[in-house]
Amino acid sequence: MAKVPLGQWVPHVEAFVDVSRPPAQHSASVDALAALVNKDKLTLFDLVSKMEMYLTTTDHIVRSRGILLLGEILCQISFKQLDVNAISTLSEFFISRLSDWQALRGALVGCLALLRRKQSIGSIIIADVERLLESFLRNVQVQSLAPADRKLCFQILNCILDQYPEAVKTKGDELLYGICEAIDEEKDPECLKLSFHLVEVVMKQFPDPSGLAEQFASEVFEILSKYYPIYFTHGVGDELDATRDDLSSALMHAFCSTPYFEPFAIPLLLDKLSSSLPLAKLDSLKYLDNCIRCYGTERMVRHATAIWFKLKEVMFSLSIDQSLSTSGSSKDVEKNKNQIVSKALTCLRTAITYMGSSDEDRLINLILLDEDIVNNIHSVASEENSVLTSLQNPIQLHALGSVISILAESSTHSCTRVLQAHFTRLVDSLEISAGSKSRHLNTCSGSSTAPINYGTLYLSVQMLSSCREVALVSQENIPAIKSAEESWWPILEKNIDSIIHLLQSLLTIDSQSAWSAVRQEYVSCAVKGLLILATFPEQCSPLSANTYEDVLLMLTSVITSKYENVHLWRLSLKALTSIGSSILEFHASQKEIIYNKVVVDKISSLHEPYGTSMPLNLRLEANFEVGTAGPNYMLRVVKSLEEAVVTNISEVNARIENVDYIVNLLECYCGQVLPWLFTSGDVNELALSFAMRLWNEIRDLAISDRIRSQGLLSSLMMGMKLLVGICTEEQQLLIVQKAYDTISSMLSRSVKSMTQHPLAVDESVPLCSIHDTSLVCMLSSVIVGIRPQTPLPDMKMMINLFAVFLLKGQIPAAHALASIFNKYLQNSEFSHENELDKLLGTILERCFSTISYSSDMKIALSSAGTTDDAYCSERLSGIIVSKNDILSGLSWIGKGLLMRGNEKVKDISLFLLKCLCSDQSLVGFSPHQQEHGTNDSSYVSLATSAADAFHVMMSDSEVCLNKKFHARIKPLYKQRFFSILMPIFLSKIKESTAMTTKLVLYRAFGHIVSNAPVPAVITEAHQILLVMVDSLAKLSMDIKDKDLVYSMLLILSGMLMDEKGKECILENIHIVVGVLTQLVSYPHMMIVRETALQCFVAMSNFPHSKIYRMRAQILQATIRALDDKKRTVRQEAVLCRQTWQSFA
Amino acid sequence: MTVGMINANPVVHERPERAAHPHAANALDPLDVFDTVRDIKDPEHPYSLEQLSVLSEESVSVDEKLGRIQITFTPTVQHCSMATVIGLCLRLKLMQNFPPHFKIDIKVAPGSLANEESVNKQLNDKERVAAALENPNLRQLVDECLCSNF
Repeated sequence: MAKVPLGQWVPHVEAFVDVSRPPAQHSASVDALAALVNKDKLTLFDLVSKMEMYLTTTDHIVRSRGILLLGEILCQISFKQLDVNAISTLSEFFISRLSDWQALRGALVGCLALLRRKQSIGSIIIADVERLLESFLRNVQVQSLAPADRKLCFQILNCILDQYPEAVKTKGDELLYGICEAIDEEKDPECLKLSFHLVEVVMKQFPDPSGLAEQFASEVFEILSKYYPIYFTHGVGDELDATRDDLSSALMHAFCSTPYFEPFAIPLLLDKLSSSLPLAKLDSLKYLDNCIRCYGTERMVRHATAIWFKLKEVMFSLSIDQSLSTSGSSKDVEKNKNQIVSKALTCLRTAITYMGSSDEDRLINLILLDEDIVNNIHSVASEENSVLTSLQNPIQLHALGSVISILAESSTHSCTRVLQAHFTRLVDSLEISAGSKSRHLNTCSGSSTAPINYGTLYLSVQMLSSCREVALVSQENIPAIKSAEESWWPILEKNIDSIIHLLQSLLTIDSQSAWSAVRQEYVSCAVKGLLILATFPEQCSPLSANTYEDVLLMLTSVITSKYENVHLWRLSLKALTSIGSSILEFHASQKEIIYNKVVVDKISSLHEPYGTSMPLNLRLEANFEVGTAGPNYMLRVVKSLEEAVVTNISEVNARIENVDYIVNLLECYCGQVLPWLFTSGDVNELALSFAMRLWNEIRDLAISDRIRSQGLLSSLMMGMKLLVGICTEEQQLLIVQKAYDTISSMLSRSVKSMTQHPLAVDESVPLCSIHDTSLVCMLSSVIVGIRPQTPLPDMKMMINLFAVFLLKGQIPAAHALASIFNKYLQNSEFSHENELDKLLGTILERCFSTISYSSDMKIALSSAGTTDDAYCSERLSGIIVSKNDILSGLSWIGKGLLMRGNEKVKDISLFLLKCLCSDQSLVGFSPHQQEHGTNDSSYVSLATSAADAFHVMMSDSEVCLNKKFHARIKPLYKQRFFSILMPIFLSKIKESTAMTTKLVLYRAFGHIVSNAPVPAVITEAHQILLVMVDSLAKLSMDIKDKDLVYSMLLILSGMLMDEKGKECILENIHIVVGVLTQLVSYPHMMIVRETALQCFVAMSNFPHSKIYRMRAQILQATIRALDDKKRTVRQEAVLCRQTWQSFA
Repeated sequence: MTVGMINANPVVHERPERAAHPHAANALDPLDVFDTVRDIKDPEHPYSLEQLSVLSEESVSVDEKLGRIQITFTPTVQHCSMATVIGLCLRLKLMQNFPPHFKIDIKVAPGSLANEESVNKQLNDKERVAAALENPNLRQLVDECLCSNF
């Protein structure tokens, strides 16, 4: 062990002891010394012996510093192994120092450090802990100390009680006295938190036999009760290590620590429950809830009556209060009130569960025979036209219902009692009112009186729900319950028919306009009632199979015929879904059969597009919702959807209007049902069979040209892609085979002959019929979704086929080619000796030449000065359109290659670049052609498509080449492409002189920059910033580029946030600000203006010396923005102006 | 400037809840103007002008076509010498937050102030407003009122 020489560490000691040094230096010297000790460069013995003078001097300031130093060092070496001698010497020392009141701080720190040491690295022995405690209790007057020292004291006591419980066994009353004395009148929140914990622990330490807890309970509680309820207003920002919630829960735990507090705590809590402060109420309820759990049944039963009365008072808001709390709006008051009521209900539930076990009947009598409850129920039941009055006080009604149901739910017995007392009467009164209602209907249909008593209805439903809860809990005892005479079961059974009849009538007559305002309440209640009845566990369901079927029929008929009533419709659908899932939950096979027959099959009968008058979107929604109840149901729904699609496709030739229907069905299938099934398990069998059936239909469909109408083809294609994408390799192989067979048997002869050999460069492309095109499109959608491992039959022929159609400008063919090259290139299993590479080469060659050839031809045509001008321009426009399509097809192939990182993507990007810059070559070619308008415009459209091609290559797509369709994606491919292309673009932009060329270059550049990952762009900031800013300025001229402008502006604002980007922008601040001021008044897009202003705000944080010159310019721009059309821009402008005006 | 408080015990009203902008259109409306001035602090008390009911939404009228904003405020007491300061605050805040082509009229509610006419004249006189804002003490007072955030 290499010791450090004295001269190196003694100055640290001196520095610490010297009070005049700054605190930072003090802590630094403690750190240094502790580090030395931890690294064994300094032994504790050396340290202590050198410090002897400081530890024993009579100058109490120096002595206290010395002891504190030792204590602090001991804190910091809490992970270092120390031997028994060292520990006992140190504890001896610190224990003796506890009596030294002038230097107490260090002793407390040292004792705490010793107590906190782990057993394994040498800790203080029990005998020493006892002595420590003794000395502490004798010498330390806690309340006379400063808050920080008091905190240490509480920590020491807590530590002893938590970790050395055996040391306090003998100290009994002395300890309790000491603690009482220590915590009395404590006011510091952090200390209070500790002292509450202290009480909790100490009361738990001395359980019954010692009798100490009982003896001291009143004294301790008197101290604690002063703090209740906690009033603490410090916020989070006060840097205190305590919040109101902390303190409150610490105090609550202290309250609950021993049952001996019960005689004092419960009266206090009940008293505070009538307080006018909402917070005190809430706290009391929370405490009460916990105390009931902790104090035990026996003690609590004594307070049952008092607790019930108080809770009743709170729940029914009997006391007039809340007017005192002036702060906060009426909304807050309302919220508080609701919170209090719900807390009170929880408390009641706890009370019933805990206190009911000893003397159940007494509790039930207490609540059930309570005057207020009985009167309330009576008044609810007897009110005539009570719709309005009882709705006026929904809180009261809700509380009443909750109390009843909490009581009934608690046990079978109480459920029986509750039902006996009220159920029959409630149902009877409902029946009477229902009877009077039908009379009303007969006599005067326009009557405005609401026939059924809402309160009664609500209470009955509430009781039904309690019955269900009870039945759920006691599923095993159901036979006993059923056979017992005194039970809730017979009561329920007797009344069930009338209830169902009643609820049913509510569902059917609800279109009475006169009481439509309250109708919703009724309907919700009725649907809820039916739902409860239908979700009883099977073996104790009060409904017979027939009635069950009736209930389901009722709800289903709402779905199929009452769709114009949105509220009822949604509720019923939800109810049906929950019934469905509850069947699965209980494994009720009998019910499942009924459910399938009545609900699922009925709702999912979709064969007839116009069979019912119900709107299609609702039908589909109902289908999906019912399906979500369980996988079994969903399978049925899927089957019926599938069936509907297939049958309707086969009829599409006869009925053109079916097309729209099929498109909707497919959308639902792919958009909702498939994803749901995908998350819930294997679906690929389903997908396979559906895909196969679709191909069967396509065979017939393709012959007619209906397939292209109203988006049928595109929706079929999307569906096919998704279906194929889900399947496994083997299944995909089956589909591909089927598709291939279909195609090869149906393609016209001329097309087939084309596909036998690779396209020669100069061969012309034959014209193809619509049905060939549709077939190829469908085939392409299969290819797009395929997995890389699936072998393709006759790949060469397919590639040729797609190539032919690509040259005819069919983008789906390009998607398929892109997928093939993305997935199969260099896959030795499927392609031999780079055959695919060669094919790819040929196709690219052919595309390049077609595009350049047609521009040559156009030149030739135009320069020849053909006599028939109209004919010429017509042909030209046709060529241009398909040329642009080929170009965009090429970009898809390029995307496929780029994603897998193939070299050939360079060829494509070079060609695209050539297209972008072809203007110059033309300019040089012959000045004569410039006069021709067509020439210029065809260049622009070609170059624009080339620029957009870069967008296709860089952006993510939903249509093909994504994760869902199993594309091969090389990590960071965007970044790589960006860094390869950037220098080329920069030089091209520099070289180009013509405005048109520059514009398209800027556009392509913009697409690349805005789609590349932002960090990659920012690292290149110094190179591209100027070009970017320039392109922003130029592109902002054209409305078509507004999205591009926005995404580039976002990149610029990203740079503003980055350190490196900031530097760059600072160097070119003039130019950047110039362009941003232009964008502040960008007319085409509000969000651009807003972002530009935000950029200015962000710039205001730049160094003042660099930006103060820009101030006038920016302020002028913002003043203009103050007058903007849109409010958000104006507000942003105000903010911007304030920030820039503030530093003058 | 003043030794004792002009109105030592003002009536403080509760701040109403600020719902999300109820105006749907993007045109400038009185609520926009009111939103910018409602939080200006009273020169005497730590409350906003809204809390002291010096301003309300009804006291603002806007004509976007003619480019006019008119605000009428009600001082808390008849002899409030702070009325001019409040008016100055309003004018400065509005000048900062609205385009310069708006003509801003600031008036004291009729009958709410003893020397109503002279205050109105003072507040709508360009030169006097400019001169007042050059007075460092006054300017500091105004700035303090403006940069409070309630």
